[in-house]
Amino acid sequence: MNPLHLLAQAPATNFWAEPNGSTSLWVKIVVGLIFGIGLIFALMAAPPQVRRPIVAGVTFLAGLFYVLFYLWPVPIDQKDGELPRNAVEGVGFWLKDALGVVVNFTNILTGFMIGLGIYSLLRIHLRRFFKFQKDWGFSLTLLLSMLAMIFFGYADWLSRLGERGALLDERSNWTLVNYGRDFLFEGLLQQMDAAMFSIIAFFILSAAYRAFRIRSVEATILLATALIVMLSLMGAVQYAIDTPIKQAAGPNGFLLNFQLSEISQWIRNTFQTSSLRGIAFGVGIGALAMGLRLWLSLERTGGNG
Amino acid sequence: MSVAQPAKRPLGERLQSLPKFWIYSILLVLTTIPLFVTVSVPNEPQEPAIDLYASLMQLPEGGRVLIASDWTGSTRGESGGEFDAIIRILMRKKIKFAIYSTADPQAPLVARDSIARLNDERRKAGLAPYERFTDWVSVGYFPNSEGATNGIANDIRSVFGGRKDFPPGRPPTDIFQSPVLQGVRSVSDFPMLIVITASKTSNFTVERVYGKTPLAFAVTGVMGPETQVFYQSKQIVGFAGGLKGVYDLETMMEHGINNPGPDGKIVVPSSKYGQIPGFPGMPNKGKGTLYYPTLHVALALLILTVIIGNVGMFLSKRANQR
Repeated sequence: MNPLHLLAQAPATNFWAEPNGSTSLWVKIVVGLIFGIGLIFALMAAPPQVRRPIVAGVTFLAGLFYVLFYLWPVPIDQKDGELPRNAVEGVGFWLKDALGVVVNFTNILTGFMIGLGIYSLLRIHLRRFFKFQKDWGFSLTLLLSMLAMIFFGYADWLSRLGERGALLDERSNWTLVNYGRDFLFEGLLQQMDAAMFSIIAFFILSAAYRAFRIRSVEATILLATALIVMLSLMGAVQYAIDTPIKQAAGPNGFLLNFQLSEISQWIRNTFQTSSLRGIAFGVGIGALAMGLRLWLSLERTGGNG
Repeated sequence: MSVAQPAKRPLGERLQSLPKFWIYSILLVLTTIPLFVTVSVPNEPQEPAIDLYASLMQLPEGGRVLIASDWTGSTRGESGGEFDAIIRILMRKKIKFAIYSTADPQAPLVARDSIARLNDERRKAGLAPYERFTDWVSVGYFPNSEGATNGIANDIRSVFGGRKDFPPGRPPTDIFQSPVLQGVRSVSDFPMLIVITASKTSNFTVERVYGKTPLAFAVTGVMGPETQVFYQSKQIVGFAGGLKGVYDLETMMEHGINNPGPDGKIVVPSSKYGQIPGFPGMPNKGKGTLYYPTLHVALALLILTVIIGNVGMFLSKRANQR
C-alpha cells in the first residue's frame, strides 16, 4: 500500500451528525460546551509562564495553516475518493480537507466570544440588580428583555420544527409565541436599531453646519467636491441641471462633459478611487506587518503578556 | 434708572450659531413630511446600478444564486430596500437562492422575515409564494466572517455541511437535499454571489471569492466609495449604493434599460447593453421610491446649513476688518 494514501481523506464522518433533537446530540453539545468553557477558565487561571507558550503555540499553528493553504498548491477540482500521487499533492489534499474543520473551529471559537459577552453582561447587571446599585432599574429591564427574547425566540423556533412549521410562514397560522417573537424582534429590536442609526443624521447635520467652513484653499476644494457629489445624489437636481445641457449639446457634444452626472462620475473614478486605493495599500501593508507580529507572538500589547 | 440692554449680536455671528434645537426640529419636520407623500422623482440611474440590474436580468431563468445577507434593522432604509428589490427580481425570474450571513446573528432572521413579507406581496398579486427549502434555503449564520468566507470560497460543501433548513411538512433536513443546492460542489456552481451588506463582509468576499464566481454588491451609502474601487477594477460586476442605488434599481424594474415605454420614450438609456425589459405593472416601488424624496430634503438642508454657516463666517470676517 502506498504510504501516501494515508494522507488521503478518510471516509466522511461527522461527529455532530446525530439525529436532530436526539439525546446523544444534546449530550455531545453539553459535553463540548463544558469542555470549552473549562478550557477557557483553565487558561485564564493559569500563570502567564504557562499560558504564554500555549497561546503562542496555538496562534502559530493556526497562522501556519492559512500560510500553507495560500502558498502550497491545493487541488482545484478534487474528485470524490481521489488519492494523491506524491507527497506534495498529499499535503495539498490534507490542507483542502482540513479547511472545513478549521473554519468550523474558528466559528465555534467566535461563538464562545459571543458567549463570553453574554456572561459578562449577566455578571455586571445581576450584581447591580441584587445590590440595588445606581440605575438598577435599567439592569432589570435589560435582564427581563434578554429573558423575554430568549423565551419567545426559542418557543418560536421550536414551533417551526414540527410538521406545522412551514405553515407558520403565513401570519394567519401564528400562535401567541410567534406573535411574541415578532413583536419583540421586528416590533421592538429592529425598530430601535433603526431609530438609533437614524440619530446619526442629526449629528451629521449639526457637525457639517459647525465645522464645514471655507477657511483655506483645501477646504474650498473639499467643499466644492462634496457639493457636486451630494447634488449628483439628488435625482431631481441632476435632472434639472443635465437636461438643458443635453438639449444644448446634442448627441456626442462637448458640452455633455459638463453634466452633473459626468462631473461627479469623473470625481469618483479619478480622485476618489485612486485615493482610497492608496489608503487600502497602506492599510494592507500595516495589516501584513501586524499580522506577522501577532502570528509570531511578537506583539506584547493587548493582554498577551 | 435705565436697564442696560444686552448688545445685539451681529448677523454673521448669529448665522454661525443657530440653536441646535431649531436645526434638529427643522430636520425632523422636513424629513418626515415626504414620507407621507409618494412622489416620483426624476432619476438617471448610475452606471454601477445599471450593471447590477443588467447582470441580474442576464441570469438564466430558473437558475440559482448565492446571497450573503449581512444587514439588520439599523440599515434597513438602504439594505432592506436593496434586499427587497433584488429578491423581487430573482423571484420574478424564478431563480432559486441560498442565503447565508456572516456579519450579525440577527441577519438570517431579518432576511427570513423580509422574504415572508415579499411572499405576502406575491400572494396578494395572485402569484405563487416562494417556498422555503424548494425555492430558497436559509443556510444560517457563521460567526467568523473572514474564515467562513474563505471556507465558502474553497470548500463550500464542508462549510455548509451539516446545516439544516425547514422543508414544508417535514422535519429539518440537510440543506444539500434542497433543490437549491443539489449538485453544488463549489462556489463556482453559482453563476453569481450577491452580497447585501452594511459591513466589511464585502471586502472579505472580494479578497476570498473573487475569480471563483461573479460578484455583485448592494451596500450602504457610506460604503459606496470603497465599493467603487472594486467596481472600477472589475472585481465586481456591479453594485447598488445606498438609497440612490435602491431607487436606481426600482427605476429600472419599472422601465428596464433601453426599453421604450408606451410613449416610445427610453427612461434608462445605456450604451453598454441592448434592450433589457423591466417589470411594468408589478409592485416595483419600495423603500427607494418612498425614501428618495426624504434624501433630497436632508441633503438640501445639509447644503443650506453649510452655506448659512459660511455666509456667517464671511460676514463676521468683514465686520472684524472694518
